[in-house]
Formats: sequence, structure tokens, C-alpha cells
Amino acid sequence: MAIKTRRLRDIPLAFAMLGPSLLVLLTFVLYPLGKAVWLGQQTCDVQGKNCKSVGWGQYTNVIKSDQFQHALWVTVKFALITVPIGLALGVGLAVLADKQLRGMRFFRTIFSSTIATSVAVASLMWLFLLQPSIGVLANLGWLHDIFPVIKEPGLLKDSGTALWSVGISSIWANLGFTFILVTAGLQSVPKEMHESAYVDGAGGWMRFTNITLPLISPTLLFTTVVLTSRAFQAYGEMDLLTNGGPIPQDSTTTVTYLIYGSSSIIKNNDGLQAAVAVLLFVILLALSALQFRGFGKRVHYGS
Amino acid sequence: MKTPNKSRFLLAGLTASALLFASCGGGGSSSIVDSGNTEAPATDGSSAPTAAPTTVATPLASLPPCDTTALDSVTETIDITFWHGMNGDLEDALTALTAEYNASQTKVNVSLENQGGYEQTLDKYLQSSQDSRPEMVQAPEYAVQVMGDTDSNVPVGACIESAAYDTSDFLPKALNQYFTEGVQWSMPFNVSDPVLYYNKKVFEAAGLDPNKPPTNMAEVRTMSQAIVDSGAAAFGLSLDTGADSGGGWFLEQWFAKLGELYSDNDNGRLAPSTKVNFDSQVGIDLLTDLQSLVNDGLAYNVGDNASGQDALLKLADPESAAAMTISTSAALGTVLTTVQGGLIPGITTDDIGVGPMPAPGDADAPGAIVGGASLWIVNHDDPAKAAAVWDFISFLITAESQSTWAAATGYVPVRSSALEVGAIAEKYTTDPRFKVAYDQLLQAADSPASLGAILGPQREIRTLSARAIATVLQGGDVAAALTDAATQANALLSAYIAANQ
Amino acid sequence: MALDTAPKGWRSFARYSMLTIVALFILFPVYTTVIAALKPGNKVLDNPLLPNAFTLDVLKNAWTEGRLGRYLMNTTVVALIITSVQLMTSIASAYAFSFLKFPLKRLVFGIFLSTLLVPLEVTLVINRRTIDSLGWLNSFQGLTVPFIATAFGTFLLRQVFMQIPPDLREAAQMDGLGHWGFMKEVAIPLVRPTLGALGLFSFLASWNQYLWPSLITTEDDMNTVQTGLRHLASSDLDKPNLIMAGTIIAAVPILIVLVVFQKQLVRGLTAGAVKG
Repeated sequence: MAIKTRRLRDIPLAFAMLGPSLLVLLTFVLYPLGKAVWLGQQTCDVQGKNCKSVGWGQYTNVIKSDQFQHALWVTVKFALITVPIGLALGVGLAVLADKQLRGMRFFRTIFSSTIATSVAVASLMWLFLLQPSIGVLANLGWLHDIFPVIKEPGLLKDSGTALWSVGISSIWANLGFTFILVTAGLQSVPKEMHESAYVDGAGGWMRFTNITLPLISPTLLFTTVVLTSRAFQAYGEMDLLTNGGPIPQDSTTTVTYLIYGSSSIIKNNDGLQAAVAVLLFVILLALSALQFRGFGKRVHYGS
Repeated sequence: MKTPNKSRFLLAGLTASALLFASCGGGGSSSIVDSGNTEAPATDGSSAPTAAPTTVATPLASLPPCDTTALDSVTETIDITFWHGMNGDLEDALTALTAEYNASQTKVNVSLENQGGYEQTLDKYLQSSQDSRPEMVQAPEYAVQVMGDTDSNVPVGACIESAAYDTSDFLPKALNQYFTEGVQWSMPFNVSDPVLYYNKKVFEAAGLDPNKPPTNMAEVRTMSQAIVDSGAAAFGLSLDTGADSGGGWFLEQWFAKLGELYSDNDNGRLAPSTKVNFDSQVGIDLLTDLQSLVNDGLAYNVGDNASGQDALLKLADPESAAAMTISTSAALGTVLTTVQGGLIPGITTDDIGVGPMPAPGDADAPGAIVGGASLWIVNHDDPAKAAAVWDFISFLITAESQSTWAAATGYVPVRSSALEVGAIAEKYTTDPRFKVAYDQLLQAADSPASLGAILGPQREIRTLSARAIATVLQGGDVAAALTDAATQANALLSAYIAANQ
Repeated sequence: MALDTAPKGWRSFARYSMLTIVALFILFPVYTTVIAALKPGNKVLDNPLLPNAFTLDVLKNAWTEGRLGRYLMNTTVVALIITSVQLMTSIASAYAFSFLKFPLKRLVFGIFLSTLLVPLEVTLVINRRTIDSLGWLNSFQGLTVPFIATAFGTFLLRQVFMQIPPDLREAAQMDGLGHWGFMKEVAIPLVRPTLGALGLFSFLASWNQYLWPSLITTEDDMNTVQTGLRHLASSDLDKPNLIMAGTIIAAVPILIVLVVFQKQLVRGLTAGAVKG
């Protein structure tokens, strides 16, 4: 009885404290999600009005379409380029800088600095490096004598190098983030463990794989999840660097770019846009379930 | 205590994608644009006969009215917001004109809002509710049908009628570009067409006459050969595959030059088009020609021209420049100031030549269709506002304003009387490069074919043709690329008609 | 701690060399950007690796003509509003989930958590219409309100609150300390470090927003730094030095913030990786 009244007494306060958040989350996250799912089986006029249901088959048609499958493949490739390389570089840098040496603060600041660049800043910096006519690399004669693709057609315009180039700019922009995370992870590894392993005769590489890596595995998992979801949602890079091109290969048209990109043929088609966006949501959902379920168990969380 | 390793994460990604692809099933090849009308019967463009005209002229009376006298009784200043897509030097020129208008009277005050470009302007307009829309908007030439279908405008024709405005000295082509279904929807303001830009110094070095640019693609070929052979420049022509330029717009221009219809139902001017014609022999010949220019090392393809400037920047390439490119006349002012700024070492503004857009093959076809954008009055159910917008529009199209505007930018004045006054009168005599675009418009016939197409999903169809041209310039099969693009374009057309009627 | 087998001098020399090489690679894009931004237009293409000319005019132009000063101010206001309101709503909801008893608590918490899984891309177009119908286009409300509540922050703070033993709350209640007092005296001091981290995290995220501001602004006065840069890049590619000057102006303030709040940054970013 007493418990019952207490449960009820807190209701007004709980309502006041949760209400604002709940209102915002319902209005701007859950309502649009539901609406998008519904819109995904509709077709609308150019203003997004007068929507008519055309059947849930629209989702199947989108899944079957060349454009969606291609965009999904590009997105997966983009993740496969940026996540492992970005993670490896971040770990490498963090290990390199994980020593109490004079001047290490200076190097750490440099290594973390790219976190200050937003996607627009980073992409424009790389655009000026890679643009084939006025870009920096294109105007270094000796360099494009060795790698003609820099000049003709340009790293961002060659269907073989475009995605890699965007990927490198993205890895660069995320490097500061990865570096900071892994450094923090490394600092939580107790030094004594290394020392005792050393006494046991373990070499540098063994110490790294047998002690350091397992202990920073929660950090690595978290970083992987964040980098993967960033890769799956990358948009600004493509918008500024390649416009999803080069055409007709659409080498950098990711799923997000297919939805919003200026050269996408569905960008003024609300129904198809919503369908693709919902499918992206489902993919991300499956991916995070996979990452946590399948691999989370193997992650060492300490005692 | 097991160790996670990177290959596992890699595996996770691969598994996820594999699952997805497996779930997709065979399905075969299909385009996302077919997805929109699952219930509609499949349209086979090649066999379906051209639909009979279904649209009767929309009588002006059924559209929102315009009473230009509504402004007379107004006592307080009316604020007008104008969304436009003019950037760089073009924006500066528009800002100057608007300031002049605001200073000249007290009844109307215009605020300019740059939306970043034509496309962003149109997108924002389509996405916004009527209340969030501005009083006036600049919409590109490819948006006539879409804008008309929004049912959100006061047709300019109604204001012309109300004010008994005299349009007799207007270029008929400029007005007709924005005239469909019996309605003058909007007012041409910035009219452009593609012209040939070339480096006179390179022409001289190659032993060519720097004052005789090529007039058709056959001449482009011989001149490019001379340029490349002499080593005067690495390439003759710089081509692009941008939807707004070489990939879409130019293709429509080339069809119009030859007097060929780009789409059925008289280029969409009699009734909405149901199929495009660019996969015809005309299109195949044209693209085969372009492809061989690239294959022979005479032309260089800069790609999708995302910034709209790549093709021009290729002329400024310090190491492997092209001698010529085709680009909008509206870039002329910017090109000249950029050259003046010293971006290309050793080149002065006098070394930049401008010629008409080369015609396909060996044709003698100097005409062009109207590019650029027009001004639309947005309906806010307020006669005074509509009258105020009309007042500003009529200022922007006076002979004096058009003269100033054209001289500052490279756009073509919309009326012939502008040539006799102000800056452009002088400019056209002292710098004939500015007049090339104007002459091209006058030389075109006034038939539906040479007026160019009006299509609902015109922007998207340009994206499709751009992809086809990109395929071709990279060595793909011409007929296959065009057929594929045309099939998707026809699907877009029927989906558009179904969704917007 | 003499773990090294090779001579110490040689090892640190090797390490320093590698550190320097890597640092040079990372700084290369920054270097070319700075060089370009400080050159007049006619020297930009002329030897892009050497500072063979110097002017501050381009930076000044980017600030005035490019209006980056205005955009910076907008971005700062937006980021500060989102950050501070997010902190308040997160504290309130985390507190409710930790210390209040009410029906359907698990369901409501589930609703909160589920929003973590919804990517921004799915909601953007529909949110734009919502903001439009509220008349909030081109307003700070429009730029901020959709982001002022976060399940991430709620979840994070709740983790910390849950560490407070229930007895402590009971004892406080006996002493006549109400919820407000308990929150002020006990709960908030406990999460203060997490709040700093969370705040910096959301500040950074709001500062870097790209798609949303470009969707809901139609007035130049309301542009943020990111959309302003995009505009600069689309209109002035013939002035690469101007664009590069713009990127510098956009990056420097956030760099300063990050250097000042370095500690919170590390904590903020690692918050998600805390041992669970």
C-alpha cells in the first residue's frame, strides 16, 4: 500500500522532468520515423503533397533497383576502406605516442588536431589538394609524372580512385577522434602488466597483442561502431568532393547521397526518398546488432 | 579471454552486406525510377504511340489574378523577399540593381535571399509550405513545368494584361520559353545560351586565325588537330558531362539547332511529353562524333563539372590546357575578371575569344535556345504584394536595367530596346564578345523544335542524359547508353504525369 | 623502467623520426591550406608548396565578403543553446529514471533508448516539414529544438546516478531533503565531470552539423559556418585562396575550444567506451 502511493506520488514530478525530452524525442525522432515508414509505400507530387499509397511493394522494388544495390555496395566499400585503415592508423599513432618523452604533448596535439575540422572544412582542404586543374597535387610536376591519374582525370574524377580519395580525406578527418580514443584506452592499461610480461620474456609485439589489445578492446569496439556508423551516414564529403560521381559509375554515390545528393534522380521524390532512408535505418540496425551481439561477447571488459 | 581482431570486424561488415544482397534475390536489372508506379502498367516507350494532346490551354481566368493598380492605394512600404540563385559576380550585379530599385521609390522594399544556386532554390521552394515561400522567386529554365504544376503562382501574364504592359520589343524566344498551355507563367530576366570560349594565343601559336573560331563540330575537329599537332596546347576542346552543361543542356541545344524535337507532343509545349527523342539517330550521330574527338586525343572530358567551372578551368590548366570549351554566356563576366586577376599566367583578357556554340557535324546552324532563369510571382492571396512584385519585375526588365545587367554579366538583354541605351550599347560595339550570345538567339527559328523542350522531370532527365554522355565519352556504346537513358527518362515522364494530375 | 633492449638513444631517435614523419603527413593539408589562404590570387597556382607571396587581404575578404563573422556567431549561439539545454534535459530525465517511481518506467526508458538507433537521415525530410508548419524555418528554434533532448546524455548520466546507493536517497529523505535538494546537493556534484564531457561532445556535434542547417535555412543571416562554407565553395571555386581562408576561419575557433577543454574532450569521447 505504501509502495503504491509512492509510485503515484512521484508521477507529477516524473512527468515534469521527462515531459520535455519525451516531447522532443517523440516529435523529432519517433514520429518522423513512423511517418517515413508509411511514406515509403507512397508516391507524391513534386511538392510532396497528394501522396497516394502504391503498396509496400515499393520497398521491394527499391531493394531490387540497380541504384539502391549500387549505393549500398559503395557504402559498404566506403566503410571497408575507412574503418579498418582509420582504426589501424589510430592505434599505430596512439602506440607511437604512448611514451613519456620530451615533446610528446606537442605530437599528441598534432595527432588529435584533425578533430577540429568539420566535414566541410576537411573536405574543402582536400578538394584544394586533389582538384585536377588547380589543386596542389596536380601542380607538382614530378608527382603527377609518376602518378598521371592525379592530373588526368584527377583522383576525384577517376572511377578507380574517387572512393579511395574521399575515403582518405574521411580517414584523415576522423584520425584525431580515433587517436584520442585509443590513447585514452592505452592510458588505462596498467604499466605493471607490461613489466611482468617483460620479465616473463614476452617481446614487444607479443606484449601488444596479448596484453594491450585485449585490454583496450572495449575502446576498439566503441571506435569501430562509431566509425562504421559515420561511414554509413557520410554525406558532406561526397557533396563537396565528388557529387556522388564520377558518372556514370557513380563511384561515390552512397546510400545517404542517393537520398539527398544534388545529382540524385530521387531527390524530389518523397516516397522513394523515404523508402531508401528507412532501408538505411534497417541496415544500420542490423549492423549494430551484429557488432554488439556477435563480437561484443568476445570483448574484454576487465574484471 | 579472447582477442577481437580486425579481420573479425571486417568479417562483420562483409556478412552484413552479404546478408543484404542475399535478401535482395535475383531481381535482375531495374531502375529505381520504375519503383514509383508499381500499379501503373509498364510503359514501353518505343511501341507506345505519342499520346494525343490532353491539356487544353489553361485559361488565365482560372489562375490567381493580378491587379497591378493594387499598389497605388498602398500607404505603407511592402516588404518583398526574393529567392535567387545568383552567385559571385552575378550576385553582385543583382544586388546593385536591387539597391537601385529600393532607393528609387518608397512603396516596395526588396530583400534578396541567395539560396546557393538554381537547384537549391528550386528544391527549397518545392519543399516549403506556401506560407514559408517568398513573394518572388527566380526559377531556372528547366523548371517551367514543375513550377506551373505547383499551383502556387500568380502568372506574370495576368499582370502583363492588367498593366497593359507592352512586350513588343521583347525577344519572342525569351518570352516563349516561359509560355505554355496558353499562359505566360514567368518573366525572363537572365537569359543565357552556350557559347564557345577559346584561347586566342593558342590559336595563333597553332597557325590558326584567332578571330575565326569553329562554327561546327567538323571545324572543331580540324582546328583541334592543328592545335594538338603544333603542340600549342595539349587538347583542342574541353568537354564536360554536367547536367547543367555538356551532359544535359547542350544536348537539348544541339537538337534545337538542328530543328529536331527533343521530346514528343511538340517538345512538351502542346501537351506534357510522354517520351524523349534523344536516342534517335540524331543523338547517336552527335555522341559518336563527340566520342571520336575524345578517342583521338583532340578533346578532353573534365567529367561531371560539379562546380560548373571545371570545363573553363581546364583552359587555365598550367600544364595540359585545352584551347576551347563550351560554356554558358553568363560566365563571360566572371571569366574576364578571373583572367584579369592573374589566375592564368601570361594571358590577358584580350586573349579570350568568344564564338557561337559549334553546331553538330558540319551543319550551319547558329541558333540557340534560351537558358538562364525567369522571375515568378508567388501567390500569397494579397493583391498588393503581387502588384509590388510586378513593380520590381518591371523595373528589372526595363531597357536600362537589362542593359546594365547584361553588360555586367554576359547575359542577353530580354528586349531589343536595351541595345540602344546604357552600358550594353557601348559594350556590344567595343567588346563584340558579349554580343555573340544575343546574336545566337536571334538566329534561331521560332518553331517548337528550336524553342527547346519543356518537361516535368527535366532536371532528372538531364541527369540521365548526362550519365549517357559520360558513358559515351569514356568509350561506352553510344546506342546502348542512349537507349538506356531514354527508357528511364520515359519512365520518369509517365510517373510524373501520374503523380501530378 | 629499462625495458628497452636496444641502446636508448637510438630507440628514441627512431621514435622521434617516425613521430615527425607522421606529423608532417597529417599537417600537409593544413599547410597547403594556410599557404594558399595567405597568397594573393595570382600566386595561388604558382608553386603551391612555397609561401612566395604574402597578404592578409584574402582572410579579411573571407571574413567580410564571405560573411564568416556572422556565420561564426550563429554557429556559436546554436551550439551553446543545444549544449546547455541538452544538459538540462538529460539531467532531468536521467534523474527521473534513477530516483523516481512511476508506472511504465521501463517502457518510457525503452522509448528513450530506441531513439538512439534512428539515424538523422530518416527523419530530416519530415522534420523539415514539421519545422515549416511551426513557422520555425530560419530561426534559432528550428536550428536547435530538434536536438535539445538526447537519449545518449540521459543514458550516460543515468549510469552515474545508478551508482548512488538507494539507502543514501532514503537517508536524505529522512533528513527532509526533497528531490530538488537531493539533486542539487548530491546528484549533480556527482555527475559534474560527466557533464563537462557530455557538454563538449554535444557542442562539437552541433557545431559540425551540415545537412540540417542547409535544409531549414533560406536566409543568409541564419547560415552556420558549415553551410556558409558550402556556399562559398559553390560560388567561388575560381578563388581557391578565398575558400581556404574560409576553412581556416571556420576551424580556428573550434581548435581553441578543444585545446582549452582537452581533458573534457578525452572524457567526452571515451564516455561511450567506459567499462560496462
